[in-house]
Amino acid sequence: MTAVPPSRTTGGAASAGAVYDRGYRPYDGTLGGRPAARRALYKASIRRAVGLRRSWRQKFFPWLLLAVASVPAIVWVGVAYITRNTPASAIEIITYREYLGVSTALLVFVGLAAPDVLCPDRRNRTLPLLFSRPLTGTDYVVAKVGAIASVVFLFSFLPQVVLYVGQMLVSDSARTYLSDNLDVLWQVPVGTAAFSLYFSSLACAISSLTTRRLIAAASLLILLLASSVFAAGLSESTGAPARSDGFEVEIDPETFGGDPNDGPVGGRIGSDGQVTSTDFYVVAEPSSAWGAANLLAVPLHVRDLIFLGEIREPYLAGVDGGGALALGVYSVVLFGSLGVLVWRYRWLES
Amino acid sequence: MAPLAEIVGLTKTYAGGSVRALDSLTVSVEPGLIGLVGANGAGKSTLFRILLGLSQPDAGSVRVAGIDVGDDPIGVRSRLGFMPEHDCLPTDQSAADVVSMLGELAGLPPHDARQRASDILDLVGLDEARFRPIEGFSTGMRQRTKLAQALVADPHLVLLDEPTAGLDPAGRHEMLELVRRLGRFGISVLMATHLLDDVQSTCDQVVMIDGGRLVGAGRTDDLLESSGVLRVDVGGRGRRLVEVLGHTLGIDAAVLADGSVELPVADDSTLDAVVAAVADAGLPLHALSSRRATLDGLFLGEGPR
Repeated sequence: MTAVPPSRTTGGAASAGAVYDRGYRPYDGTLGGRPAARRALYKASIRRAVGLRRSWRQKFFPWLLLAVASVPAIVWVGVAYITRNTPASAIEIITYREYLGVSTALLVFVGLAAPDVLCPDRRNRTLPLLFSRPLTGTDYVVAKVGAIASVVFLFSFLPQVVLYVGQMLVSDSARTYLSDNLDVLWQVPVGTAAFSLYFSSLACAISSLTTRRLIAAASLLILLLASSVFAAGLSESTGAPARSDGFEVEIDPETFGGDPNDGPVGGRIGSDGQVTSTDFYVVAEPSSAWGAANLLAVPLHVRDLIFLGEIREPYLAGVDGGGALALGVYSVVLFGSLGVLVWRYRWLES
Repeated sequence: MAPLAEIVGLTKTYAGGSVRALDSLTVSVEPGLIGLVGANGAGKSTLFRILLGLSQPDAGSVRVAGIDVGDDPIGVRSRLGFMPEHDCLPTDQSAADVVSMLGELAGLPPHDARQRASDILDLVGLDEARFRPIEGFSTGMRQRTKLAQALVADPHLVLLDEPTAGLDPAGRHEMLELVRRLGRFGISVLMATHLLDDVQSTCDQVVMIDGGRLVGAGRTDDLLESSGVLRVDVGGRGRRLVEVLGHTLGIDAAVLADGSVELPVADDSTLDAVVAAVADAGLPLHALSSRRATLDGLFLGEGPR
């Protein structure tokens, strides 16, 4: 027992002068532990999703999508600026609620980014490497879903900010615009968060089930489209164009060739589905409870609940208990997806 | 010296108790280069998973680097580095990005992670290649990158699972030389392997397991003590030497296939007598060595004596 291994603090044999070996320095600082590991994985996943530290080809697509999602907001602010002194400025062509629908284009981003952030970890067998760090399976899921959801949130929230600030500056009085649109200040972030979290969790859950990015992306697309076609078909065959309750509609009169100076006109659709009190009629899409099965529209239903307190999106509009149904489907998909993810990355066996 | 790892009565079964991966394993090791030797399926990987807090034992306890793994299975991973046996690197990123990302995951602040990743990649000999994507790396370069990510956060103990797997003889030699260098830096290494030669040439301590049980453990030098057998090479005239030894000293010697002679020696006086006998008989003394036990011999159940 003569050979005593060199102690770590003295730097080993190098300090004894026998062998000089350059290159290794012990780390004297503190290690961040579990929160730092979670944060590092979150950061790395965001970088990967938006293509930072990757080739221009991998940067191109995310930034193109950000542009696509922002262009309408910028164009609309421009239009509002040009027409600011004409009567047309009274018309709101696009509302914040509708703009969240525009953000559904970001689904393409989610469908590509989520598999790209999750599948290679399993395919390259990187998971054992990640889980040899102070990280649990749940931390992994939180970091990955959080990263995708954050990017989607940012990409759909920024154009809304552009829209809001732009409209505020273009309007006659910024203060009036602000006080007239106070509700938007909570509706937009909450609606955007609900939208981002929903699609990110679903896309991540599907990506966790395969090692092939293409299969994950295709599966997500097929699931959403199939459910949408399925819901539309069933609603059209079983639903009635009736709304169960009196239902206000507001419509730009120009749509019907009217005079834009008339301002918005409205009508009321009675419980029998007939227009009761106006001189135009609206062809309502048939609605039924099956409309809630449209997984593509679920975040739009929830958005309607946030912005309007009732659903106006096709196939579920005016359905009895449609709001509760939409929230139910939303919760099932969100928590189901998170459940699948936690199960797929349960690294610590019992 | 405080033990680096203390394993007491460790038992782990799979498939409802029918497969015993580890069977009441009790062993203690000190800081240094430690070889964990066993055939495939001997329980090496299971032991690694338990050390990393990724698998809970059915019975027994493990203490590594001052932490009870059962108490703090996540915290213990901050102090360990792990190099898996299989390919595990993201292929479309550069080695520098991967190692620094994994350094941050181990808890290093971002700036330190980048700095240390660059230092460690330099240390393992990837200074030029570290900004290239791992896709284009050879097996040897990938193994070095895997080693680098295990070292980046300055762990108290590095777990290497078959670090020489898949390497050609030159690559294997370089990898073992790297491990020996880690020892000189004062980094403790637990190296799982089924290649006894690797352990014999690299490690100062050995833990041998088979079927989840401890076969032997201790310092490599102690285990490889002189076996008490002397080997004498007299240039092809072994038969003559055997006659002489039997006649003058009454020693029962034997001629080996290569013509050298092996005989049991009790102490140094026998050694002197043998040398004298060789000279008296006018035989040329080409070589005189004491045969050492090999780990292979120990593992196969031949005692050192």
